[in-house]
Amino acid sequence: MITGVGVVSPYGIGLDRLQAGMLSGKCCLERTKDDVYPGFEGSTAQVRELPPLSKDFSPRYSRTDHLAVVAAQDALANSDSSTFRESGIVMASTVGGLTEIDAGIAKDPAAWYRCPGGLLRASSYPFAHVADAIGEYFGIQGPRCAISVACASGAMAIALAANMLLDDAASIVLAGGSDPLCPFTLSGFSCLQALDPNPCSPFDQNRKGLNLGEGAAVFVLETLAGALARNANVMAVLRGWAMNNDAFHPTAPQKEGSGLADCIRLSMEMANVSGDDIGYVNAHGTGTPLNDSAEAIAYETAFRGRGRPIPVSSTKSYFGHCLGAAGALEAAITIMAVRSGTLLPTLRLTNPIESPGIDWLRGEVRRQPLPLAMSASSGFGGSNTVLIFGSGPS
Amino acid sequence: MTPHLPPVTITGIGSVSPYGPLAGLIPQTPLEPTALSWATNGQRRAFLVPPFRPATVVPGLKTRRLDRLSLWALVASSLALKDAGIDLNQVDRSRVAVVFATAFGCVELTEAFYLSAAANGWNGTDPITFPETLASAPASHVSMFHGLRGPNITVSNKYFAGESAMMQAACLLRQGQADLAIVLAGDAVSRSMYSWYEEAGLLSPACYNSDPMSKAEGFIPSEGVAALVMESSDRIHARPDSRSYARIGSGRWAASGQPAKIIRQMLDGSVPSLTICSGNGAPCATSPTAALAREIAGDHPVILPQAFAQGLAGTGALFHLIAALSNRPVSGQALFLGTARDSGFAALLLELP
Repeated sequence: MITGVGVVSPYGIGLDRLQAGMLSGKCCLERTKDDVYPGFEGSTAQVRELPPLSKDFSPRYSRTDHLAVVAAQDALANSDSSTFRESGIVMASTVGGLTEIDAGIAKDPAAWYRCPGGLLRASSYPFAHVADAIGEYFGIQGPRCAISVACASGAMAIALAANMLLDDAASIVLAGGSDPLCPFTLSGFSCLQALDPNPCSPFDQNRKGLNLGEGAAVFVLETLAGALARNANVMAVLRGWAMNNDAFHPTAPQKEGSGLADCIRLSMEMANVSGDDIGYVNAHGTGTPLNDSAEAIAYETAFRGRGRPIPVSSTKSYFGHCLGAAGALEAAITIMAVRSGTLLPTLRLTNPIESPGIDWLRGEVRRQPLPLAMSASSGFGGSNTVLIFGSGPS
Repeated sequence: MTPHLPPVTITGIGSVSPYGPLAGLIPQTPLEPTALSWATNGQRRAFLVPPFRPATVVPGLKTRRLDRLSLWALVASSLALKDAGIDLNQVDRSRVAVVFATAFGCVELTEAFYLSAAANGWNGTDPITFPETLASAPASHVSMFHGLRGPNITVSNKYFAGESAMMQAACLLRQGQADLAIVLAGDAVSRSMYSWYEEAGLLSPACYNSDPMSKAEGFIPSEGVAALVMESSDRIHARPDSRSYARIGSGRWAASGQPAKIIRQMLDGSVPSLTICSGNGAPCATSPTAALAREIAGDHPVILPQAFAQGLAGTGALFHLIAALSNRPVSGQALFLGTARDSGFAALLLELP
């Protein structure tokens, strides 16, 4: 059961701000020049308003930690429970504390650490720190770990949290992802020539690449028995999940999308549903030529035999690719879709990839009852994660 | 992990450590730290992996431009599969998971990427290096090299990364999301990491001279990757000739709490025949672990953390376990135990054949 959702996005803090912003059709991607590092020219989506943390913590926390703590605070606040002390934590990040470090650390590390605050800033470097930050800030004592599986991280954290519940490692688990913009990753994607300088156009035949964004999303997951026992507000049910790997290439997806197609099949098997039962797919949809074509083939394969084309959109067209937070933020958008029956279109999708089995959502927001929806995530190194959400138990 | 769930079995071990690349158990000969490979102001030492040619250990292995952590993960996983006697051609590779634990990830190439940014600006960085800086790159390479299409997870935890990886893998096997898992844990010593330890005052005097390590406060940084092959009970039934190093039963872990009480509940009134301590070399980590182990074990033997792996922050667990299995005095029920500051702990029940 999902009994709490906390979000920090370029629209602001909270699921309501995210929903209002996206339903209005507002795109948060802006052309930025020299904003994240000298010489950078491209489009990014930034979180502009972030409340300060307690001074006891802020010197030791990276921007990744900061985003995560604010998202967790939002999740805990809307989960109507004060019994989180023994909860587990599974948080995802790919950036970790890289935001607090600069190139000087590699030239002369000892001198860099001796600069004021150097040792403290570097202590947030390990990606495990984001899970510790949430645990420490809120006094949560249960089993705790962080994961980093490139762009599938946020979704996989949710899947692993669900596994922890099945395995009785905890009765409540906070899970999600957090990643900020930082020169390291912007430079990395830029040197790979993966960035579209303009706002991206996922699944369009003229797509030119991705844009990076930043944010965090944290979910409260608990067992049905636990949620019912405390009369929790069940926001959605995680009906099925699956994780697998393409075992193909360090950066490119398997061209026929077979890994993702298998992952979709496994998630539907776990949920005990067929392709006809899924009403919407929130796609990974980065806007890169290779990802989107492989992903489209994956949907064609996985939903073959379905009675009508599967509705698909990429919400990265609204605020970019938030890396380790992307899968978590998109899970929040998928839950939003299930709860409100609103299917968001892909922005700037004028000439979609030809895929007869796919109903590309574009133009207006579509409104329809949505019992089950799917969120798909993939990443460098071939990792795939698929989550299936349904509305709460009747 | 609930006790009623079927156990999983460790059937293969591989490692790349200061002992070099090895299939199976680790020799009991004590090691001395060696001098760092980069220039320093005066001699500084660590437990370093000796240079070796990967292709002589794993024929056909290409490791050009990989971070050392990825390279070691490839070698250790290959050795563990070999030790387990597993022919991957006879295995459904979509049912094989890879779970990798690391504290710092691919620091060597992360430093190289920073250096290229320092030299050429952020617009002049290296596109081949960037993907290899990801913490998940070693696990991805293991999946790619062996063609493993099951779940692929890179996990971290400040004190219990290795134990976390074992528990996540056991969970995948028990929940039927995989039949076989390769669990890896490790880190590499890098210049920036060593300097951080040094500036933070965490290092043992033995890093700077040849005093016996056993007398030292602080710890000596260490590096390497250990790998375990873990198999579900269904696979073990279908493979009766498989080796069993240990069967993993229930486990508990928490960031803080009441470890003695929770572990006693897990033990259900029994006392383990053997307690194996994990933990890094900082006195704040090893002393409470040893004290808790002795409190639970009573008169039964306790194996303390191995010196050569104490400098692997959070990822030394697999090495501590392998070293203990290499020199275990008893069979029967064992407790694998690590503790952390603020009474955090990880405890796994093992059945030793």
